[in-house]
Amino acid sequence: MNSRSILVMAVALGMNTTNAWSASADNSTLEQGRYLVRAADCAACHTQEGGTPYAGGRPMETPFGIVYGTNITPDKEYGIGAYSTDEFYHVLTEGELPDGTQLYPAMPYTAYHSIPRQDSDAMYAYLMSLKPVNIEAPETDLSWPFSMRWTLNFWNLMFAGETPNNAEDQSDEWQRGRYMVDVLGHCGECHTPRNALGAVDTEQHLQGSVIAGYEAPSLTPDKLAARGWTPTALQTFLREGISDQGSMFNEMYLVFHHSTRYLRDEDLKAMSVYLMGEDPPDARVVDAEHSASADSPGRRHYLNVCAGCHGAQGQGVPHVAVAMKGNTTLRLDHPRNLVKVIHDGIDAQKFNGFERMQAMPGFADKLSSAEIAELVNFLRQSWGGLDAIIDAAAVDELTGNSEE
Amino acid sequence: MTTELSKAAVIPTRPLKVTINGEAQPIEDIPEELMMLDYLHEYRNLTGTRFGCGRGMCRACTVIVDKPDGSSEEVRTCITGAHYFDGKKIRTVEGHAQRDEEGHIDALSTVQQQFLEHFSFQCSYCAPGFVNAATVLVERLQRKPIARSQLEGTISEALESHICRCTGYVRYFEAVRDAVLKTPGTTKEAS
Repeated sequence: MNSRSILVMAVALGMNTTNAWSASADNSTLEQGRYLVRAADCAACHTQEGGTPYAGGRPMETPFGIVYGTNITPDKEYGIGAYSTDEFYHVLTEGELPDGTQLYPAMPYTAYHSIPRQDSDAMYAYLMSLKPVNIEAPETDLSWPFSMRWTLNFWNLMFAGETPNNAEDQSDEWQRGRYMVDVLGHCGECHTPRNALGAVDTEQHLQGSVIAGYEAPSLTPDKLAARGWTPTALQTFLREGISDQGSMFNEMYLVFHHSTRYLRDEDLKAMSVYLMGEDPPDARVVDAEHSASADSPGRRHYLNVCAGCHGAQGQGVPHVAVAMKGNTTLRLDHPRNLVKVIHDGIDAQKFNGFERMQAMPGFADKLSSAEIAELVNFLRQSWGGLDAIIDAAAVDELTGNSEE
Repeated sequence: MTTELSKAAVIPTRPLKVTINGEAQPIEDIPEELMMLDYLHEYRNLTGTRFGCGRGMCRACTVIVDKPDGSSEEVRTCITGAHYFDGKKIRTVEGHAQRDEEGHIDALSTVQQQFLEHFSFQCSYCAPGFVNAATVLVERLQRKPIARSQLEGTISEALESHICRCTGYVRYFEAVRDAVLKTPGTTKEAS
């Protein structure tokens, strides 16, 4: 008997202690667990860039300090290897470790609160089937008073609880969409504004928020439709990371890679039903009335440094640069994201199959703040159907160039 | 009433004023959507700058923009509009060699000479971009020398975005290293 077959036998007999639990889970449970772990985007925080999946360590900047995602591989010393299914379920849905330590709400346990026990067990089975990684994630070190974890008990009393929109008269598809968006997807962690104590403001559920200088846009039906979204386009965007409305960038690009590209079509459809309603509003068509004048300085900047890739008529170039015509970022009420991407650029992007988008350079050293403002106003007017509302001072403020 | 068709029939233009290889070019009305590469080819008959990928990836179309402060930078002409260069001074691959009064080439620049001696290019398509990028690098090091030990890394960083499909980069790399070392004042012994 060679060493490999001994190993196979050992695993089959449950002798490999770290994988003992998952060895008893059947393949469909593991498959379901993997799907749920992806839908919950655990990798977003628990996988370091270029690191072993789920071995932890990704720094997350919060207004209160840096929080590190932990190791959630089945390692007994640093991971979740010593957890029982009960303990895993408790950590996942209540944010409290087996020893009573309260997790910081960077762990979205307020969203995960409604994950049913069956799904938690499948997620546990999948995570326990992974190879244990014996690495300790960096320790989270927040400033006082946030360093005092016991204070989180009061935070939890105030903010932890049911997620909103739990309307019982909605369809099963809508309910499934709510589960995918609000619970597993924890979309509200970024797309819902937070109060001064860092809790999501349930009164403004999914109405958009600003994180690290970028806006996570509003996902309410009227705002989505105003930015050109239809339920079908939303499904395409989540599945492909790219659609007629543009491509995912910044944090959402990672969410696509770790999570949304794996979602089943029926779940994507359910999400779009939950987000836009059973009877979605029509996507707003941009009228030409708003168009900037042909000799506006913003148009000159566009032709000088943008049109080479995005096209003189804003039509884009397939697999190179997205179209400006119909682009959702141009249609955001606040020009923040547009200013930021023009200033900072976007790294080259990989999507499904052979789909790619070329790196967009940042124009911080090519365009002055006044020129960026002129360009942004032109883009808003021409293809966003919005008013020219930004000036150089506002660009400076958004890009951190304003003088103190 | 103006129809879409009649609008398209008139190509909007704007006057463009640019200095190329030290010579102020005649001010002409140039289509406002024209890319710089097409201006060089079609209006100035400067065909040394190459159209490669057409999307700013291969860098064959790179020219040098000389800034008022004495520094210079690479700009890709296939994706940059001609009017971006309005009022600017640029150098193309045609502008590096020394010429006599009749325009015949007297001597190649150090960079060009080293490229030839190292057989750096084969099909030559990428050569204009490499000549301009290496020249920008050598001039930068003349203004701000680096330690000799940092040279290899600095060359890689400066040229890595340029694509060559023939000679495998080593010959370009060695030629640029020699061009730098043959140019006084570009490196220091200790950092």
